[in-house]
Amino acid sequence: MKIFELENISMAAGFLLLMVGIWGIISQRNIIKMIISFSIVDTSIHLLLVSIGYIRNRTAPIIGEGVTKTDAATQITDPVPQALVLTAIVIGVGITALLLTYSLKLYRHNRSLEINHFNSLKW
Amino acid sequence: MVNPIYIIAVLLGTAFLLGLFRKKGFEFGMALGMLAIAFAAVISVHWFIHLYSGTEGGLNIYTAGSKPPFSINLFMGVEESFFMSAINILGLLGFIYLFRAFREQGLKSSVLFLVLIMGMNVLIMSRDIFNLFVFLEIVSIALAGLIYLKRGKESAAAGFKYLIAIGVISAMLLIGISFFYLFAGTLNIDDYLQSNTLPVKGISVAIFLMLIAILLELKPFPANGWALDVYEAAHPGISAMISSGTATASIFLLYKLLPLSSLDWLPYLTVIGAVTFVGSNLLGIVQKNSNRLLGYSSIGQIGLMIAIIGLAPRLGDHFNFIFVSIFISHFLAKAGLFWISGIIMRSNIREWSVLRRNRLSLFMFGLFILMLIGFPPFPSFYGKWQLVMDLAQHKSFVWIAVILAGSFIEGIYLFRWFGYAMKEQDDEEKKIIFQWEKLIPPIVFSVLALGASYYTNNLSLLGPTLNLIPIYFILALFVLDFLPAFVKNSLVIAGMIIYSVLLYPSIADDTLRLIFGGIFMVGGVLTLFAGYSEKGKREGFFPFAVMMYAGLIGLIQAENLFQFFFSWEIMTLGSYILIIRGKKSMKHALNYMLFSLGGAYLIFIGFALSHIGQVTFDLQTLSSTILPGWTYTLIAIGFLTKTAAIGLHIWLPGAHAEAESDVSPMVSGILLKAGVFGLVLLFLLMGAEQAEQKNLLYILGWLGAITALGGNLMAVFQEDAKRLLAYSSVGNLGYILFALAFVTHVGWMTALTYSVNHFLFKTLLFLAIGGVVMRVKTHNMYEMGGLIKQMPLSFIAVLIGIITLAGIPPLAGYGGKWLFYNAVLSKGWYFQGMFIFFAGTIAFLYCFKLIYSVFLGQPKDKFRQVKEAPVWYLIPQIILIIGIMVFSARPDLLLKPVGTMLSQSNYFPTDPLNWENVTASTDLGYWSGYKIMLVIGVMFIILLSWLLLMSRKAQKIKQFNIVYAGERPFKPETTHFSHNMFSHFYKALGFLSIPVVSAFWNGLNSVTHSMAENTRKIYSGNGQTYIVHIMLYIIIIYMLMF
Repeated sequence: MKIFELENISMAAGFLLLMVGIWGIISQRNIIKMIISFSIVDTSIHLLLVSIGYIRNRTAPIIGEGVTKTDAATQITDPVPQALVLTAIVIGVGITALLLTYSLKLYRHNRSLEINHFNSLKW
Repeated sequence: MVNPIYIIAVLLGTAFLLGLFRKKGFEFGMALGMLAIAFAAVISVHWFIHLYSGTEGGLNIYTAGSKPPFSINLFMGVEESFFMSAINILGLLGFIYLFRAFREQGLKSSVLFLVLIMGMNVLIMSRDIFNLFVFLEIVSIALAGLIYLKRGKESAAAGFKYLIAIGVISAMLLIGISFFYLFAGTLNIDDYLQSNTLPVKGISVAIFLMLIAILLELKPFPANGWALDVYEAAHPGISAMISSGTATASIFLLYKLLPLSSLDWLPYLTVIGAVTFVGSNLLGIVQKNSNRLLGYSSIGQIGLMIAIIGLAPRLGDHFNFIFVSIFISHFLAKAGLFWISGIIMRSNIREWSVLRRNRLSLFMFGLFILMLIGFPPFPSFYGKWQLVMDLAQHKSFVWIAVILAGSFIEGIYLFRWFGYAMKEQDDEEKKIIFQWEKLIPPIVFSVLALGASYYTNNLSLLGPTLNLIPIYFILALFVLDFLPAFVKNSLVIAGMIIYSVLLYPSIADDTLRLIFGGIFMVGGVLTLFAGYSEKGKREGFFPFAVMMYAGLIGLIQAENLFQFFFSWEIMTLGSYILIIRGKKSMKHALNYMLFSLGGAYLIFIGFALSHIGQVTFDLQTLSSTILPGWTYTLIAIGFLTKTAAIGLHIWLPGAHAEAESDVSPMVSGILLKAGVFGLVLLFLLMGAEQAEQKNLLYILGWLGAITALGGNLMAVFQEDAKRLLAYSSVGNLGYILFALAFVTHVGWMTALTYSVNHFLFKTLLFLAIGGVVMRVKTHNMYEMGGLIKQMPLSFIAVLIGIITLAGIPPLAGYGGKWLFYNAVLSKGWYFQGMFIFFAGTIAFLYCFKLIYSVFLGQPKDKFRQVKEAPVWYLIPQIILIIGIMVFSARPDLLLKPVGTMLSQSNYFPTDPLNWENVTASTDLGYWSGYKIMLVIGVMFIILLSWLLLMSRKAQKIKQFNIVYAGERPFKPETTHFSHNMFSHFYKALGFLSIPVVSAFWNGLNSVTHSMAENTRKIYSGNGQTYIVHIMLYIIIIYMLMF
């Protein structure tokens, strides 16, 4: 069965995690849990990206052991998504850190981490 | 040319460098940061000038020395350089503006600002999709940090909501990008566009996700609660950057990525944009917090721009002009308003009255507000004009209606806000400091706004033909506002006289324009004379008085529809500001403005309809419209709002009565004639023969008759002298409308002479009563009385005025009446005619009330010492009286040329009036003003002598001789004879004056407000609700598209 190949599994897992993450953001009232859900969304996208770049029976796009410059094109997986994943991870870390900082500030202001305690701006 | 990549390098390098600074080097660090942004601004502006004037297509920049896909590719074209210039100039000013905030929070916060500017620059230049994602995130992170620049619980909550929302949106973007890469095999926009990849469904979905994410960044209604919270909570300097900066970058991003999609996104964008424009503005009308209100308005404006992108195919070559003019107005105005908000630090829009303490910021506030709404001479006015004209050519009537409805709703809250700034109580206890570094940015943007207006005028298809002399005069008056009032008054009068003299030869042959031009200019000079009685500087009066008269005279001079509409709006604006100067005018001026705005939009649509299939905007196009019924009806209703026909009249009494003493005659005697002039022009061009027009005229005839009756009836029951005159104007304009609707020779002659008469007597009456009010400081007639001794000249003026008004021989009003009867009888509208005659009888009642209650009866103790009205009020009155006398004795001076003019027009080849020297005769009778004057004069003298002869033994009664005096003195005022004077008539006819019309408009008002109040509850304030909105929005748009 081709469905259960690595890239498909990874992609399916990615979508599954995406749903879980978004559900978490919407349903969890606790701000820390929301941030964790956000990280899950991030991870799910990284999985998706990796699965898109994966080409079967090929190795990581690193020139060195077993991969020479001349035959790299036939031996390695697509390097672009991998580069993208790296960038996306960095950005994800940045946003998560900022979210955590904000959660700290919110806690200091209100002694609470419930998202619905921060409704004073509305309408 | 400097390679634009240095913009990134310098901004980024400076940002890193500033991170190394300690507290001591703050000023130096700020100077460095400013230099870096200034460098970016200079380079981008330089590129823009180079690319705009040259033929070069632009510059491709490849990083890392290789071409895509191995590198990232930036592009600098004319569009890019334009938007980058805008952003970098905004950034420079925004940086200066935030100087103090940065000092409080440390230099590191300014690092974020530099990163923000850099990110936006790359967003505009980059041609690599993943790169765009990265810099979108950088911009978001920098902004998220800057939101907390103003520390507090609110901004922390808003920042968190913002981050979560942006996180979800960018997740969608990233998924879209990864699948785009899967299917397209490239991340470069140009590569993909050249590769002709088959549009399989997969890639369509991927592109959908990318575009919807960018769209969500633009905060479409209703998935935008997070953005509103940010606008409200963030430092206004940051909100300005979001509203004018990131929104600019995002909308350019949308524009750049749109070609990727093989699906037709444009109709969806139109709907999304239009829904956002109308929806966001609608919710704005119940908003009290100024920054949140600006947020609503901002979102609305961006919606309009999205809609314009969606409508691009219908706009053709004009797209750039329209988009840029709307964009630049929003860009300058919104940043300016946010900046002003940060200066005065008042969150409730009612408290913006503090602006009055600083004239400059009040001026800038008004300028930005008008620019947003699209008043001339600002770019958005030209943009909206072109937009509506082009949409009409494609018969997109729904979109015209939606866009103008949105603009109108925006006008409601912006003008209400402006009214608060002008008139609301100012709590002077609370101090306010106008900091210089915060004033610089809005000042620069105001100057840019005026410059942009000038350039738009030159660039527009019709612009350079506009007469800018009055506009320069107005600007000069703003500059000279520090001079004393009498100097400015003399300047304005001299200016108007010179202008009239110069203008005269061009309209000397055109009797119609001569008559109305005469009313506007002569009337203008006369009413301005009254202004000499004002002491002090009278700041902010003269520019707007000139604006109103410039608009009026512009109507006379207009050669095409555009010039006419331009003048119409200028006139409305000037008169609005004159009216709002009255002490209790806030509400009434708003009413006036909203009715005028609505009316103007109807005229606008009518013009657009008449332009369908036409090349020019010549006034003659009105006569060959392909949709005559709609065109004429809309335009006529538009003009009727100005003449205050019944149903559209509710703004008039308050606006005219509460205005300053010398403004009332301007807006009543003179301004109302603008609507009449419009109607005359319209009827002249439309041709009365077709069935549709006949029906329209028949309805207008009835409307005129009912207006005459209703206006006069309501005038009878007024206690306020100026309101009485105002309602009387409603009735008088009803006569004019009625006579115009005849479209017969004698009918029009009546209408035109009555217009002149009304100008003479109503200006006279308002001046006289205005002079009285200035002395006695009340409008209530029952508080006056017996003023004849103190103010004999005013008494004579009012007497002459009411004799003319009531149409009593021998004065000019009688001639008007005689013509009127002729017209009614020859047209055969007997039933309507009865209304009119009845209305004329009612007019006697209020004329009597006016003269009796004010000048006759018992003098009041407190008014025993009042003096005659100021001499500057009396001079124009005397001139007007002379005018009335001349036209009464020699009506032929006016009627002959009018008759000749009407005979020369295509309509009425035969003149039913035959002239024999100064005697006119028709089939129904004859009339000689001169002889009548003689007869009445002789009768008067005989009766007077008889009376004197018979009453030789008469005894002079002192006021406190209770035996003989008609009423007891020192009673409460409510028992005064003239209080509730016509209560018996009220019993009989009062039901006719029940304010059903006001009830209708109030109902409409409250329905709109409660609708907005209920709808905005969707913005619950909960961050998770906002995420649900975003997800639902994506799903719904997906369902609609696939």
